[in-house]
This record gives sequence, C-alpha cells and structure tokens, in this order.
Amino acid sequence: MIASLIEQILNGLLVGSYYIVLSLGLSLIFSLGGVVNLAHGAFYALGAYFAYEVQRRLGFGGAVVLSPVGVALVGMAIERCFLHRLYREDPMLGLLFTFGLAMTAEQSLRLVWGTTGLNFSIPDALRGQLLLGDFIYSYYRLTVLAITMLAVTACWLLLNKTAFGMIVRAGTRDPEMVRALGISLKPAQTAVFALGVALAGLAGVLSAPLAGVQPAMGTEILIAAFVVVVIGGLGSFWGVVFAGLLVGVVRGITVVFYPPAAEASMYVLMALILLFRPRGLMGEKFEKFE
Amino acid sequence: MPRHPLVALLIALAVLPFAVTALGYTHGFATEIALFAMVGLGFNLLLGYTGLLSFGHGLFFGFAAYAAALAQIHFFKTSLLAPLAAAVVLTALLGVAVGFLVLRRRGVYFSLLTLAFTALGFTIAFRWTAFTGGESGLRGVNRVALAGLDLDNQLVFYWVVAALVFAVAFLVWRVVRSPFGSVLVAIRENEVRARFLGYPVRRYKLVAFVVSVLVTAVGGAMFTFLKVFASADPVHPNFSGEILAMSIIGGAGHFLGPAIGAAFYLVFREALSAYTSAWLFWFGLLFMAFILFSPSGLVGLGERVLAPFRKRREALASMASRVKPDPGQEVPAFLVPAAPPGAGSVLLEADRVSKSFGDFLAVDRVSLELHHGRLQALIGPNGAGKTTLFNLLSGLFPPDAGRLRIGAAAIDDPTPERMVGLGVARSFQVTNLFQGLTVFENLRLGMQARHPRRFNLWLGKEALDDVNRETRALVKFLGLEGVEEAPVSSLSYGGQRLLEIGLALTARPRLLLLDEPLAGLAAGERERIVAMIRVLARHMGVLLIEHDIDRVFEFAEGITVMADGAVLVEGSADDVQANAQVQQVYLGSGRAVVAAGAAHAQPGVARPALLTLEGVNTYYGKSHILYDVSLEVRAGEVTALLGRNGAGKSSTVKTIMGLAPPASGTVRFAGEVISGRAPEHIARAGVGLVPQGRRLFSGLTVAENLRLGGLSRGGAGGVHWDEARIFGYFPRIRDKLATRADQLSGGEQQMVAIARALSGNVQILLLDEPFEGLAPALVEEVFKSLDQLRKEIPILIIEHDLDLVLALADRAYVLDRGRISHEGPAAPLLADLELRRKVLWV
Repeated sequence: MIASLIEQILNGLLVGSYYIVLSLGLSLIFSLGGVVNLAHGAFYALGAYFAYEVQRRLGFGGAVVLSPVGVALVGMAIERCFLHRLYREDPMLGLLFTFGLAMTAEQSLRLVWGTTGLNFSIPDALRGQLLLGDFIYSYYRLTVLAITMLAVTACWLLLNKTAFGMIVRAGTRDPEMVRALGISLKPAQTAVFALGVALAGLAGVLSAPLAGVQPAMGTEILIAAFVVVVIGGLGSFWGVVFAGLLVGVVRGITVVFYPPAAEASMYVLMALILLFRPRGLMGEKFEKFE
Repeated sequence: MPRHPLVALLIALAVLPFAVTALGYTHGFATEIALFAMVGLGFNLLLGYTGLLSFGHGLFFGFAAYAAALAQIHFFKTSLLAPLAAAVVLTALLGVAVGFLVLRRRGVYFSLLTLAFTALGFTIAFRWTAFTGGESGLRGVNRVALAGLDLDNQLVFYWVVAALVFAVAFLVWRVVRSPFGSVLVAIRENEVRARFLGYPVRRYKLVAFVVSVLVTAVGGAMFTFLKVFASADPVHPNFSGEILAMSIIGGAGHFLGPAIGAAFYLVFREALSAYTSAWLFWFGLLFMAFILFSPSGLVGLGERVLAPFRKRREALASMASRVKPDPGQEVPAFLVPAAPPGAGSVLLEADRVSKSFGDFLAVDRVSLELHHGRLQALIGPNGAGKTTLFNLLSGLFPPDAGRLRIGAAAIDDPTPERMVGLGVARSFQVTNLFQGLTVFENLRLGMQARHPRRFNLWLGKEALDDVNRETRALVKFLGLEGVEEAPVSSLSYGGQRLLEIGLALTARPRLLLLDEPLAGLAAGERERIVAMIRVLARHMGVLLIEHDIDRVFEFAEGITVMADGAVLVEGSADDVQANAQVQQVYLGSGRAVVAAGAAHAQPGVARPALLTLEGVNTYYGKSHILYDVSLEVRAGEVTALLGRNGAGKSSTVKTIMGLAPPASGTVRFAGEVISGRAPEHIARAGVGLVPQGRRLFSGLTVAENLRLGGLSRGGAGGVHWDEARIFGYFPRIRDKLATRADQLSGGEQQMVAIARALSGNVQILLLDEPFEGLAPALVEEVFKSLDQLRKEIPILIIEHDLDLVLALADRAYVLDRGRISHEGPAAPLLADLELRRKVLWV
C-alpha cells in the first residue's frame, strides 16, 4: 500500500511536471499580453511532432533542444503577423482567435503527419530502471523530472536575473510606466510569446516517449494546464509551480484509492479552491480580466 | 428579407427540408440544422445579450442527451415527451448548480471555469461506463409515436422538431424583448452601473444562465431522438467550442445570428467533408479571419455589404439638435416624494466610518449627517478621501469600521443594490453609462428598475407605459429632448455628464450623491447644471463633490471640507471661506518650510527655453482637458505648474510625455517637435518623468527599478546618474537596494522614483506631486535634493503645497480649468499672500 502510494505520488509529480512546464508558458503569455492562449495545446503537440522528426536525425538530445526552438519560431511569426493586433482589444478576441488557431493547427498536424498516432519510443540511453531496494523508477521519468527542474530554474533566472525579465515583470504591472522610461514593450511581448510556446513545445517533447504522438494530444492537456493556472492564480510564477505539483500529487493519491476518479480529481480540486479563494492560491487581481 | 426575426425564422424552417434535399442531403440533416439553430439562440442569450462567453454548453447538451436516453430506456419506454421533460428538468437543476459556482467570476475567468466543468463532465461521462455506456454510448432509444404521428418518418420528425424549435425561439424572443432582457443587455454594457440602478445582477445572470441551459437541454434531448443514440461526444470540450464557433461566425450581435451560423457551419461541414477530412482546417482559417476582420460575424458582414443600398436613419446625436429646455421648469412629478419628510430631517447618517487600502487610511472616522432639502458640498484637496467616502455611502464597499444609519436603523451590509433601494443614488466622477445604448434606453433602464411588472416576460420592454412616460419627463427635465434616440457614445461630453446625473435620478432618490458633476464642462453648461441641482435640492438631499470651489461657495447651503481622510471643517460657505485651516489646506500659510532658502537661478540672465508647449489642446475621449496651453521650461530653472485639482496639471505632464497625446498644438523639446511621438521615444529623447503616486514597479527591487530607468536611455549628454551619484543624493537608498519597492516608506519610494527618472540620459525632469504623503522630515530632505538638482537639470514641478513649491521655483504658471490663467516669477507669490489669494483662491 505504502509502496504503491509512493509510486503513484511520484507518477503524479511526473504528470505535474508536464503541467508546470506547459502552464508556466500559458501564465507568462497571459500576464504580459493579456491573451488567454487556447492554442497552447497545439504548440505542445507541435513540439512533439517536431521532436519526432528531429529525433530520427539527431537523437533525443537534439529534439529536446531544437524542437522548442522550432515551436518558438512558429509562435513568433504568428504573434508578429496577427496576435499583436489583439493586445489592446477586448481579451475575448484574443481568446477566440487562439481558439480558431488551435482548430487550424490540429488539422494541420493531421494533414502533414496523418490522422493516426506516431510511435515514439523512449531513447535507448534512458531505458532501464533505477532500483533502490523495493523501489523502482524508470530513468526516463527521472530525466523528465530533472529537465523540468532545469526549465523552471532557467525560467526563474531569466525572469528574475536578466534585463529582459525585469522588463517583463515591470510590464506586467505597469506597461505605461515602462514606456515612460524609454523601453518599448513590443519586442518583449513577442519574445514572451515565443518563450511561452517554446515551453509548451518542450512539454510536448518530454511527453512524447511516454504518451505517444497524436494530433489531439494538445486539446486534452490544454484544459489541465488551464486548471493548473486557475488553481495557482493567473500571473503567479510560484503559484503555477505549486499548483502543478499539487494537481499531480492529488491525482497520484486518487489513483491509489479510487482510480476512475483520477482525471476528475483536479477539477474537483479546482472547484473547491475557487469556492474559498476565487483568485486562486497565489493569484493577483487583474482588473481587465474580471 | 422580412423585418421580424421570428417571421424570417418561420419561413426558413418551412423552406429548410426542401432546400436541404435540393442540395442532396437528408431530412435528418435539416432536423440537425434546426436543433443547432435553436441551441445557438439559447447560447446567444448569454454570449450576445449578457456578454458571457461560455465554453460549457456542450456539457448541458450532452447531459440532457444522456438524461433523455436513460429516462426512456429505464422509465418511459413508450413516451417521447416524458423523457424530454425529465431531461430538461434535470439539466436545469445542473445548470443552477454550475451557474451558481461559475458566475462568482466574470470575464475570462468565467470562460475558463465553464471549460473546466465541461472537461470534468467529459471525464465522468467517459469513465462511468456502467451508466453512460462510455465509448460505445447508449443505444435502445426509440422515436415512439407521438399523437398518432409516425416519427420514424424523417420528414414528419422534422416538422415536429421545427414546431418545437419555433416555440422555443418564440420564448427566447419574448425574454430578449422583455424588461428582463433589457437588463441583461445593461449588464453586458456596464455591470457596475446596473448594480447602481438597483439591479441584483448576480441573480439576473443566474436566471439568464439557466434559461440558456434550458434551451440547450431541449436541443440535447431532441438530438438523442434524432440519432436514436446518446454518447459522450457532446460533452467533449470540442463540442462546446463548436457551439461557440457557430454563434460567433453567424454574429452574436443579432437575434438570428447564431441560427444562421449553425446552418452555415453544418452545411460547410457537410460540403467540405465530402472532399477533405481536414475541413476543420479551412473552417479554423475562416474563423480566425472573422475574428480579425469581422468580429460581428456573417450578419455584420452582410450589413456592411448592404449598407450602401440601405437608407440609414441619421442619428441625431449633436447637441445642436436638442430642444432647448425651459429654464424655469419644475422637477418631474415622480421625483417629488408623496409624503415629503420635514425640511432638514436627517436622511442618512455616517457614524465614524473608516476605510483603508493596505496601510493607507483613506477615510478616517468620518461622521456626517445628510438632510432632506439641503444642498451639501464636499470639498478638499486631492487624496482627501472624498470619492472613497462616496463609495462607502453608496455601498460600493462596506466600511472597515463605523456604521451607516437611516433613521434609527443601522445598515449592516451595504451593497449598491441595497443603498439604491433605500433611496441613496449616485453619479460617477468618470462618466459611467451604458455606452452602446441610446439615451432613452439608458434612462428607461433606470426607471424600470423598481417597476412591479419588470419580471413579466409577456410584456415588451417598451410596453411599460408609466416607465415611458416618466422617462420622457426626465429626458425633458435634463434638456436631452431631440437626442433621445442617439447612442450614448455619439453624445457630446456635456450631454454625457447630464445623462450621468439623469441615471442617478431614475432611482427616485431621497438622497442624491453627485461626484464632480461640473468637471470638464464649459461655462454655459455649468450654469445649467448648477441651476438643475438647485431645483433638485428642494425635493431631496444632495451631496456633491466639486473642485470648482468658486461655484461651491456660491451655491452650496453647507460645506464639508475633508483633508487626509478626515473631516476638517463643516459649516456655511462664509465660515469655510474665512476659515484659516481651510485656506491653509488650499493656499499654504506662507511659512518658511525649510531652514535654508533655495538657491534660485540668477535673475536677469536670458536663458533659452528647453521645452515649449504652443497652443496645446488635449482630450480624454470627448472631454476637453487642456485649452490652448502654452508654456516654456527654461534651462537652469525650476518651473512650477500650479492650480486646483482637476485644473489640468497632471494632464499637461502626460501630454508632454506622450501618454495623453495632444489633439492640436505642438510640444517642442531641445528644438525638436516631440508631440505625436510614442512615449518611449520621448523618454529616450531625454525627458524624465516622476509620476504622481510614484508608480514604482511593485514586486521589483529598488535596484531593478533603478536599472530599468537606464536600460534604454543610453545616449550621450544630459544627466546620467550612476549608483555612486544616486547614493550621494539619497544616501538612505543605499541600504535598500535589495528591498522590494512596495515595501519602502513613502519618502524612500519618492527618492527611488526620482533616481529612476534620472538613471538615463535625462535633460529635463517632470515631477508630479513629489512631496505628496511625505513626513515633514522627509519633505525637507527631498526639497534639498531637488534644490541641488536645479544646477544640473531644468525641472517642471507640480505640487499642491504652495509654500514648498514656490520656495523652490523660479517661475510659475497657474492653470485654471485647463487654461493658463497666470504666469510670472515665483518669488512674489511666495512672499505676498494677498497676491497668492488673488491668483489662486476664490
């Protein structure tokens, strides 16, 4: 019982780490541009498909690095051409536009790579299990946890230790004042969108070997990512990280006690949290989204 | 095309099966179109009319589909109506529960919550296979005979469904046209103001949500009978997205838009899926194009195409088309209380009410009595807490401490709705109207708020004769006759201010709270509004906030002066005008603020102007803020910009900075024209801003705030402060570099704000209220720093403490209602209190 509980909690953490990487990007894009990116799941799927292509040529390591870069470039082009027009408009328009984008993107994946899923196996180097007494955990899962930690740390450093991060954080609070100091926000907005979807792409790469690659993969996880952001609180870095882990762990525990409710657990958690803390665990007030 | 949407719908439903077969599709397909058209109409009650974007209607559609199937399979094997009724009732209950939860939030949050509930529903439907059949769905549904009709005949079934769809559409139409429906539109346009008309908006939204769910449930249940099968597909979030996409593509702004969208979507799907499995790819592209280029959907597109061929009624928006009101008119009868309280009786009493925001005590134990038939004014400098007190009195938020009382009864939990119900109505400082609606509709909505038949769905909103009569009387009283049918957004600023007062009057107030009713108006309009307020004050109590204190002294019967959150003085105009404390608040005392005098610029030396404004006019929306403002800031000088609250001082600074670009006139800086450029370009040219309230980036450290100041303003020349220099001026910042800016004291924040403005290539410094909220010791410290700075950089300073600012400044401009009313050297104004009174007091 205890062993399976620990195992499921660890599995929960693994799921949680996908959510964190995905949700951090969602939260970043939302904070600076005010766009609720419903196409985030599509970028996640795109990351997985890119990884599929890159891995065949350059191996998994190459996929982890290059696939998010490719996703970022696609995102940048879309932001520059279309999305940036909607920043000043009603936030509903950004949400609807990305809704259409998600639809189109998923179909594009079907057109290019076919409607059935693709096989994506765990890279050979990461096969095998870590054995600690009775306890077994696969190397690949450990790798995912490590890469997630790395990504979260890198994001935190980028946001807190660099000039770019300063502009982003300041722009989230008071964009007008940032401009009054001579800083244009446009490049930062594009960069943040690129970074956000790159994170989604990374989550896609990491999930591909375990969950496979198929066109609808984005839709399912997108909603989970929103739930994590809503639980953590829109715009809060640590809120998202904490909520991702919390959702993962609660899911793991539910698997042990009542498996059919595993997927439902996060929605129930969300409903409970919203009843008592309407702005999420660490959320701040964003007037224009209320 | 027929004018009446229901006639259009009837014709469409009659033609549909034939049109569909002509295109080569089945009658079943026609039924599907009709059902989705109906669901779209119900969905649009939320999206188009109430302004709530739900991603959750698939949940209710799917739930009803299951409920109908299960009810027939397990309980009513030979009936169609019983399962339909059961499904609708059960889904409505679910709708109440979900609506209660998700309507706690608004905007984007609401949408995400509905999405999450749908996802939850899908997981349950998919997992609970014993009950829902999971992936394989539920079979065994029958279209049993209904009243002798063979429903297994697809065409017969279509006519039955079409009749049902028309009946439901008729119901939705009644709701939309009813007084209730007009409130939903008001909520979409301006939820806060709807509350201040006395509408309990949460309850209205919940009812709208449930009605919308009911319509969707009928659709879902009938869909089960159409397909004789129920599955988890509709509960999948994609299905909710489809309902949304149909409505948007059709046009959410029109009653039939979503129905047109449903037909378009389904035909598009059928037609394209014959050729490509990726038809959604093309649909997605089309959808994005609509969002970017025609958010009003197909209906909006059609209207644009047809516009040149249609005769348009010219909107009579200009105030010129107004019928001039009779100056001596009495107030409308409905505003005269049937049993007027005795003159001078107390209407509302505030008993030591307090309110703080964080550490800031905005209202500090204020006690106030407001009397019937009395015109009371509330004045005081910026930040005195006047509007916060209004918010307390009108129920926007409850006081932290203290009580409101009406008669002997204490009001425990004041909300806007409750206060309006008790006869306390208010207007707003910033115009707060239903912008998309007509003048008449704005006022009618207010008048309707307490009509006994406001929930009657069988009445058109225009059928409430007494409401119309009273609205017309009010329109006449306000002097808005002739522009009733103009949309508010096309009204002049003066007209909008009148309407602002008018909306408050619709509540038939016993006590009327007016927040700066005269702000931004031309002289003639001020006269008229003052006359109107005087007439009103004969029949009710009036409390108004006003910065135009000349006017206030002329017409107010009693004056309350607030400063720093507390009541300073209360009395008649003469008392207050002569009161030394009040004069000190507004004029200063002429005291020597700092021990050492300031080091003024050498007199008699010609200095070149660095910054010049020539004939600058600035507007906020329709409100004209600056009138032909011309001024210059010369090298080596400190220039002060004086004037009362609302005179346009901060707006001048914002205009220079490009944050409120001028409509006409030019701003020149170092020889270059900078008006019309983006704020970041103006900042990079060397203009440093210390805004009112400092506006440091909270959450960022002091060091980061300073670095942001220098990040993009490299450039040569000008002042460029490095850390050493900053610490030279402001030694106390040195220890605080790693502290978050929001955790600093007010004085420290001010120093950081100044240092931040100077941390780049800066050639002129704009300071807006740098001494606001500082303790005396800190005032002196900041004063000395600024006095040092004058040697390095020219300064334009706004400051309400005249003793301070005049001691510092070389020259001064006085702004009065957006115009420069005085300019000259600062020294005479500093020394000669009589002159100061003449230039700046009443």
